[in-house]
Amino acid sequence: MAQDAKLSHTAAMILQAIDAGFVYGFSIMETTGLPSGTVYPAMRRLERDSLIWSRWERQSIADQEQRPARKYYKLTTAGKVTLEASRKRYPLLARLIPSAEEKSV
Amino acid sequence: MKLVAGRGCNIVHQLLLRGASLLVPVSHRGEWLREWRAELWHLRNQSARSAFCSWREEFASTRFCSGAFQDALFFRREFGSGWKPFAPLAESPSKCLLFLCALLAACYLFTVILPGVRAERSLAWSHAYADAVLIRNARANNNATPTISFQQFRQWDRDKGKYFEGFAFYRVAQPPIALAGSAQKRWHIAFASSNLFDLLSIPVRFEAQGRSADRHLYSIVLSDEFWRRDFGGDVGIAGSILRIGNRDFRIAGVAPRGAWRFPEKVDAWVLEPDSAIEPEALGFVVAQLSSKGRSEMWAPRQLIKTYGPHNSEEDYLGVLLDEQAPPPWAVFLFGVLLALLALPATACVSMSEFSRLSHKPSWSRRFLRWGFMGGKVALLVLIDYFVSLDMSYTYTSVFSPYSVYLHLATSFSICLLGLSWACRDQRQRCPVCLRRVTHATRVGVASQTFLGWSGTELICAGGHTLLHIPALPTSWFSTQRWLYLDGSWEFLFTGS
Repeated sequence: MAQDAKLSHTAAMILQAIDAGFVYGFSIMETTGLPSGTVYPAMRRLERDSLIWSRWERQSIADQEQRPARKYYKLTTAGKVTLEASRKRYPLLARLIPSAEEKSV
Repeated sequence: MKLVAGRGCNIVHQLLLRGASLLVPVSHRGEWLREWRAELWHLRNQSARSAFCSWREEFASTRFCSGAFQDALFFRREFGSGWKPFAPLAESPSKCLLFLCALLAACYLFTVILPGVRAERSLAWSHAYADAVLIRNARANNNATPTISFQQFRQWDRDKGKYFEGFAFYRVAQPPIALAGSAQKRWHIAFASSNLFDLLSIPVRFEAQGRSADRHLYSIVLSDEFWRRDFGGDVGIAGSILRIGNRDFRIAGVAPRGAWRFPEKVDAWVLEPDSAIEPEALGFVVAQLSSKGRSEMWAPRQLIKTYGPHNSEEDYLGVLLDEQAPPPWAVFLFGVLLALLALPATACVSMSEFSRLSHKPSWSRRFLRWGFMGGKVALLVLIDYFVSLDMSYTYTSVFSPYSVYLHLATSFSICLLGLSWACRDQRQRCPVCLRRVTHATRVGVASQTFLGWSGTELICAGGHTLLHIPALPTSWFSTQRWLYLDGSWEFLFTGS
């Protein structure tokens, strides 16, 4: 995905949510207010375009907390660049979902 | 109560996820289901933490699970094998015709394999009950009372005269007889002349010849209802031995469903030689009319006079039996006719929208184009015939009144759908190479229809033509137009 790739508002919100530290599908749903039928397919597309990557958390951690292991998502380098471009395109994005650093400020 | 409801909802949610997972390609299914189950667990866990677990939260979980279907469909589109069974229809004309031929062969095979359809088809072509007459004494109040003695039948059978070609006799045993080993259930058994089914041209299904050891046993033909109810529809029943009362009979086959149109309900017919029937037994006589007899039998009921040995007159009534439903091919042709009449109302049938400014294709090209269309229509009509037969007669009989309606409805709808598709397909095939035009492009703005043209443009992959389809038909551009591309376009299509 090129640096000047234009994302839809939904995809940009999901990227912003992941960047803000909401790394699970359900937490992204809660943050963005988007339904599951929108969030998950959008994340698949972002992963297909190499803007995010996913990894299963270690089973030992899940077992320790007596819950099933979750799949979490992180931004790739290309994803970070695209998100920067999207923030310029959608100026309210960062205010809608502030990142961890912005919250601390 | 809350716990039980929560568990019930959880089962429903798990089933929803499992159902959605079936849409996901097998290679990704396990991981996909694991992720959704984990997310659902966390969602439910979060709901459980709240003090009041309400139906609203269960509904939210259900809504969450329903989103899994959209995700599964995305996976199917992205990672599925992309197998599209009807894709060859949109490809080259030879592939399209080959596909239709293969479909026709498959439909014909089904017609041959499905036992019900095969029997009904043979029954339909056999002209059952053609020129058959039930004869009863004119003094009897109704058809249901046996009035003719076997002796009288033998006399008629010996001297058929010019009006009849053959006779058969049958009587129904009263009271009903119990099968050996099941005293509670009783069956209505008819004892009939061995030529009864041949005389009426009723084909017997699963017909079996007796083994040498069983030759002395009389044959019995089961009714379809009896066969299904008491023998579980066993197709291998023919040839086995059935004990009724204290006598053994060899099962010769099964009569088609609804084939019996005579008075009295019958579960099985014992076909016995004339020598085995008592001369005084009263029963019914069925006669086959000769061509002269048919010409004389101008009414459904006709008085028949006979003269006894002492010149005594006897009046009998002949009741014609071949007032049956139209044969399947007639129903099918009527359905096709209706579909042809309905076609212009449901699809655009115009095929000649060529640009006036461009050259026209050669006669051979035009002949090929119309030949292709004719081939498609012929194959579709044949497919329609076999599919409608399969759909109509798998569970219904030719004699059932429902079968006519079902056959008419299926042949009409399949033919209408097929012909609509054939017209639509033909309209999108390049008149030069008969390949489908592709790469649809929207041109113009719909709101500027009065100032400029708006619609869709498609191009032939071989570089022969460009098809313009207007978005809104206007007085100056109402139907689609073909634009023939000249040699200057060739450099764009080298290699195609």
